[in-house]
Amino acid sequence: MPLIELKNVSVRYGEIEALRGVSLSVEAGEVVTLLGGNGAGKSTTLRAISGLTKPASGEIIFEGQSLTGLGPEEIVRLGIAHVPEGRRVFPGLTAHENIMLGASNRSGVSKAQIDQEADAMFDLFSDIRPFQHVLGWTLSGGQQQMVAVARGLMAKPKLLLLDEPSLGLAPVIVSKVFEIIKEIRRRGTTVLLVEQNARMGLSVADRGYVLETGRLVVTGKPDELWNNEDVRAAYLGGHARTAAKT
Amino acid sequence: MDIVFQLLFQGIGIGSVYALVALGFVLIFRATNVVNFAQGEFSMVAAFLMVIFSVDLEWPYWISFILSLGGMAIYGALFNLGVYFPLRHRTYLPVIISTIGASILVSNSTLALYGPQPQVLSNLLDFPGFNIGTVYLDTQYLLIIGVTVVLVAFQYWFFEHTLLGKKLQATSQDKEMASLLGIPVATMIMVTFVYSAMIGGLAGILVAPILFVSIHMGGTIALKAFAATIIGGFGDVAGAIIGGLALGVIETFGAAYVSVPYKDGFAFLVLVAFLVFRPQGIFGERVAEKA
Repeated sequence: MPLIELKNVSVRYGEIEALRGVSLSVEAGEVVTLLGGNGAGKSTTLRAISGLTKPASGEIIFEGQSLTGLGPEEIVRLGIAHVPEGRRVFPGLTAHENIMLGASNRSGVSKAQIDQEADAMFDLFSDIRPFQHVLGWTLSGGQQQMVAVARGLMAKPKLLLLDEPSLGLAPVIVSKVFEIIKEIRRRGTTVLLVEQNARMGLSVADRGYVLETGRLVVTGKPDELWNNEDVRAAYLGGHARTAAKT
Repeated sequence: MDIVFQLLFQGIGIGSVYALVALGFVLIFRATNVVNFAQGEFSMVAAFLMVIFSVDLEWPYWISFILSLGGMAIYGALFNLGVYFPLRHRTYLPVIISTIGASILVSNSTLALYGPQPQVLSNLLDFPGFNIGTVYLDTQYLLIIGVTVVLVAFQYWFFEHTLLGKKLQATSQDKEMASLLGIPVATMIMVTFVYSAMIGGLAGILVAPILFVSIHMGGTIALKAFAATIIGGFGDVAGAIIGGLALGVIETFGAAYVSVPYKDGFAFLVLVAFLVFRPQGIFGERVAEKA
């Protein structure tokens, strides 16, 4: 049984159909990357899973349980943490406080323990340790991204949804973020990753899906997708002759 | 020189009341992004509850006080459920209209029940006051200042050192993100309304012996508190307190040295001056709208 399964999920924003019958699944322990251009429906897929957007039709099943009708607060308690696009770090709280609040979905955990776990997060995210008592809005984009991912991990998720973690970051910071994703994967957390940066997205993935205007068009292993001429030309924005294969 | 201290004392006393009401204003504004135009009625309703319990029913002051505050907690919860909650997914405009409607409904219901005659509530302490040098310290003013200091200290501790306080702050800064983390947003907003109604009510009970209890007291206090939040910097907790105290002092001195009939006018003169020359208030917006 897959950890999560989307069955024929459609999402509408008014007149616009953002997702048209998308079916996909993620097995426990996998890292799966969703690729596609702007407006392909990648973020909408994650929003549908975490309950921010209600699907018009179709069903999402997590650990055998349907998520239909559940709101974001209930879904995160089941063990799905969503690190949304734009990082959404609370601007008026410190990095440390932001990370502590990531544990809000777990009941019966003392403040002291949450405090301790948040401290431990700075072992994995050592770059932001010096900034842990700095307000969120003063952090750089890369620092905010690390706070956002650390906050997501504090939920102890079975499934971590990461939306465009590389967006707007300098290349050196992007590699750091992906090092952390590799480490998360080593620790056994299942990840569903949305990326526009196809090369980085596929470098950490077991499998990939390519979305185009709300539809799934191709699925496969990273190297299959990478070598698929049509996929590269149309959806990944690369050209076979100019982009070097890693 | 003594007269200056005397006026300062009274100014800080009445300013504390504005600060408390302004604090309630700011908390609701930060949690819902809407100005609650029925904020002053929190103070009025609490004062009338005191009149019912301690004057009409002649129950002991302290029991009346606790019942009134408990009543305000219930009032805050009902206010949230009736005025804000059904409109929470709408823009700010329907919610503002809804709070204005609530304000009119509550003050006119009170008018229907009690009539236009102002009610009198006696001081909490039998001991009216004492002199330090030539400065007369009224115990009711001392009580107001003391309660305000304790409440501000409590609120600082609560928001900065408890997890619930941090969750309330997170909710006010980004509701969608808060819900993604599993913070129960509706409950957080409920807590905010209950707390805001209680501190507004507390201010109303404390100021009642000074101002008379009437259906107009809510409007007067709310306007001053509103001015205080603009002077301090809208949405800023420290600004609301400083703004409230500053307003109390300014109008007291203005009344003493310039003109008593224009006492209320000074508050608005200062408000207009701030709107023209420093619209962001004393403390400005310390946190950018979007990070």
